[in-house]
Formats: sequence, C-alpha cells, structure tokens
Amino acid sequence: MIIIRKNFIPHKIAFYVGIIVVWQIVSMVGIWPDNIFPSPYEVAEDLAYGAADGSLFYGIATSMWRLSIGLAIAISGGVVLGIFMARVEVINQTVGSLVLGMQSIPSIAWVPLAILWFGLSDGGIIFVTAIGAIFAVTINTYTGVKNIDPHYIEAARNMGAKGSQLIIAVLIPAAFPYMISGFKQGWAFAWRGVIGAELLFSFLGLGFLLNAGRSLNDVSQVISIMIVIMVIGLVIDTVVFKKLENKVMSRWGLQ
Amino acid sequence: MTKLEAKNIVKHFSHESHKLTALGGINLKVEAGDFVCLVGPSGCGKSTFLRIIAGLEKPDEGQILFDGHPVTETSPERIMVFQEGALFPWLKVQDNVEFGLKMAGIPKEERAKISNRYLDMMQLTKFANSYTYQLSTGMKQRVAIARALVMDPDVLLMDEPFASLDAQTRDLLLVEMQLIWEKTKKTILFVTHNVAEATVLGTKIVVFSNRPAIIKKEFENNFPRPRVTEDESLLKLQQDILAELRPEVKKSRE
Ligand SMILES: Nc1ncnc2c1ncn2[C@@H]1O[C@H](COP(=O)(O)OP(=O)(O)O)[C@@H](O)[C@H]1O
Ligand SMILES: [Mg+2]
Repeated sequence: MIIIRKNFIPHKIAFYVGIIVVWQIVSMVGIWPDNIFPSPYEVAEDLAYGAADGSLFYGIATSMWRLSIGLAIAISGGVVLGIFMARVEVINQTVGSLVLGMQSIPSIAWVPLAILWFGLSDGGIIFVTAIGAIFAVTINTYTGVKNIDPHYIEAARNMGAKGSQLIIAVLIPAAFPYMISGFKQGWAFAWRGVIGAELLFSFLGLGFLLNAGRSLNDVSQVISIMIVIMVIGLVIDTVVFKKLENKVMSRWGLQ
Repeated sequence: MTKLEAKNIVKHFSHESHKLTALGGINLKVEAGDFVCLVGPSGCGKSTFLRIIAGLEKPDEGQILFDGHPVTETSPERIMVFQEGALFPWLKVQDNVEFGLKMAGIPKEERAKISNRYLDMMQLTKFANSYTYQLSTGMKQRVAIARALVMDPDVLLMDEPFASLDAQTRDLLLVEMQLIWEKTKKTILFVTHNVAEATVLGTKIVVFSNRPAIIKKEFENNFPRPRVTEDESLLKLQQDILAELRPEVKKSRE
C-alpha cells in the first residue's frame, strides 16, 4: 500500500506563527497585566536567560536522567512480568489481576508513599516514574506474547529452542510490535510521572523549575518551562518512538 | 530399516459441546529413505498426525517409534515444515536458516558455512540479507525448506508446504524436492491435498479416511524420476488414488 502524505509543513509554520502573533497582540492590548499574561517575547527572554545561565539545561538533564532510570526499571520489570503472566496461567490469574488494578492508580497518587519510603530524594522520584510506567509495559507485553502465532513457538521448539533461549530468541522478538506500544505508553506515563513528582517534592528538574516559577510569581518562567516540557515530549514521541514503530512494523510485515 | 512406526495412534480433541476423534488408530511403517505422501479429506487429522510425529502433540493412545524408540518430546531429528512457513519476520533469511544451528550452540563461522550451502542449494544466496516480508511466497517456502534441511534431520515432516504456491512455482519446487530427496536420502512425510503432487513426489502414497481417520490404503509408486505432474504414466495411479479418496471427501462434507 502506498500512502500519499500531503506535506503540511507550510500550514504548520503558519499556524504557530499565527499563535505567537495573536498572543503578542493580546498581551500588547493589555487586558491583563504583564505579570499575569506575559508576552511571547518575555517568555522567550526567560528561556534565553535559563539557557545562558545553564539552569534550563541542568533542569532538563536532571529530569531526563530520572526518567531514563525509572523507565529502564519499568521496561525491564514490565517485560519480565508480562512474559510470565502470558506463559504461566496461575501468575496471570493472581499477579495479573493486581496489575490491572494498579494500572488505574495515577502516578501522582504514589507520591505520598514514595516520600514516606524514600524521603525527598531522587529515589522517590524514580520510584514514582517507574511505577507509573511499569503496568503499561506489562500489559502490552502480556498481550503481545499472548498473540504470538503458535507456529513460531512450535517451529522454534522443534528446532531445539527451550527455556530462556525460547524467551530471548522467539517470545521477545515475536511480541516486539506490541512491546513497542507498551514502551511508548510507558514513556508517556513516565514523563508525566517525573514532572508531577518533581513538582510536588523535588529540588532540581523541570517540575521543580515549574514550581519555582509559581512561588516567585514568575508566569513567564512557568510558561517557558511548560513549552520545554511539551517540546521534549513531542520530540521523543516523534523522533524516537514513531521511527522505532515504523521500522518494526515494516520489518515484521505489519504494514 | 524401519525409521518410523506409528502404532495405533488415536487423538481426541474436546470442543465446547462434544468430543471429536481426529485420529482413530493410525498404523504406518516408514522405511528409512521413504518419501511418503499423505492425502486425505481436509480436517481428517493429517496435520495432527505430523505434529504427533514431531512430538509437538501427544497422542491419547498408541505411540510413535523412531528408530525403535518411543517419541516423548519434540526434537530436531524430526523437523516440521509448516504450511505457512512459520519463518521469523524479525530475522534475515540467513539468520532464519541458521536458527536451529544457533540454538544448538554452533559457532558463527561454522553456521555460516553450513547455511551458505543450503542457501545455494535453494537458490537463495542473493536473498541472504533480505527480510521475509521482502520475499514472494515461493521464496519463503524455499527458506522454510532450507531452514529444515540445515538441521540435517533424519525425518522431514512437510505439511502442505506448496498449497499456497502458484502452479509454476510449485512445478519448480516439485523438481527441486525430488533432487533434494535423491541427494540427501532423507525420510520424508509430505502432506498434500493434491493427488498429482503426491504421485510426482512419493515412493508411497497413503490415503487417510474421513474422521476418525485410519489409513484406508497405501500405494507403492516406483515410476522413474524425475517425474512431472503431466506424466501420463502417473495417470492410472492418480485415478486409483482418487477412487479411494473421493468417497472419503464426500463423507467429510456430509
Ligand atoms: N488444537 C486443537 N483443538 C481442537 N481441535 C483441533 C485442534 N487441532 C486440530 N483439531 C481438529 O482436529 C481435526 C483434524 O485437524 P487437522 O489435523 O488440522 O486436519 P487436516 O490437517 O487433515 O486438515 C479438525 O477437525 C480440527 O478442527
Ligand atoms: Mg492440515
């Protein structure tokens, strides 16, 4: 199938330029005072300050570092859990039902527990990030393994694969298209989790900068950090996951 | 020398409301180097029988003797080629072909040496680095056959491997299958619903009855090779087989 995709880049540019222009005009009209509704220029200035003194990059790096560790824990734990749930029915019936329940808890609801267990530390933030992401990875891995064409498994066993060999050489790659969506969802939960947790109890990180902006009544800092959070999310979604997904889908012959 | 012996193989399946007996007591002796073609109405249990020989499924009664020993589990000595090929889409052609060797812990250089030989035999060398989605159905079947041959199995179990091929590709593979069999002297069990295909390939053609399946009749086939589907000398045999098969197909549709 050939998908002819119209190139909408000019429309996109016009749209964003339009937003900024309207925003600038509204702020110049002066309905709201500057400290409540800053102009795009002020927000950009704020970003430039943050970039110049390094605090912005340091915040990004801190959040990304926490996210990476949390997500790595969620992915490795979720994949193992999902495989066991799919292959061992008693685990599915017991642990699996708990996983479904836990998935409905918003990451932020883990913050009090994280503080009590880990104190106001990186450990607490990583815990919130990981626990918010792990169940999405688990459930997608489970679904992926359950949906493997049984012929793959039979052929592999017939050719001598067993135990961990079977898991590594067949179950994981065969379930990979599903696992990718699990990672993508997991990343989205982790990103929300890390920012949320930082907002509530951290020093350093983008969530902290957001909260710092609030306590200083600095609306342009708040808005500038929100823009950074949005852009990073967008970039990781499109650059990392879309690419990975497309590659996997075509390789696995699903496209 | 008897390579395989099926002794009174019975297999039931339980469906929601009822029990279905697929195999009603199959008795079959396969000599080493035989090329046995199995024909029978669809749904009579041919695939199930192959899977039991492969050790992927357990019979409810009876047993399979392989070199005189009862089959208890699956093993690379009896390799199955599935109708759908069951190739791994995440691996390149060469890695698909080497899969079993890798599982057996054979080092990379040696694997490459062995797989190159079979890639060459199946005219796949140019496609060694392709992924399976880039191949035609005929090419995929060649990869599936190469992947099986690489294991150097005593017995090849082929479940309608040519069913989804176009006529030209099938004719080509029918010639190649005969060459492979002559070259490697493998014992082959080959399920097909195509009687002409069975008479081209088989040294022996076995007709399964409708469910619960038993072996209705066995035909010897010693016509000289290479054979092709249009061989007039095969016509008489084909008609005899069809005469046994037709009533069973009819029963299976009632
Ligand atoms: N795993 C299974 N569970 C339930 N019924 C099965 C299963 N495998 C096969 N059957 C049934 O057994 C019968 C024989 O199947 P099969 O061996 O695939 O037939 P054939 O290959 O001759 O067409 C069919 O009626 C099929 O529905
Ligand atoms: Mg079948």
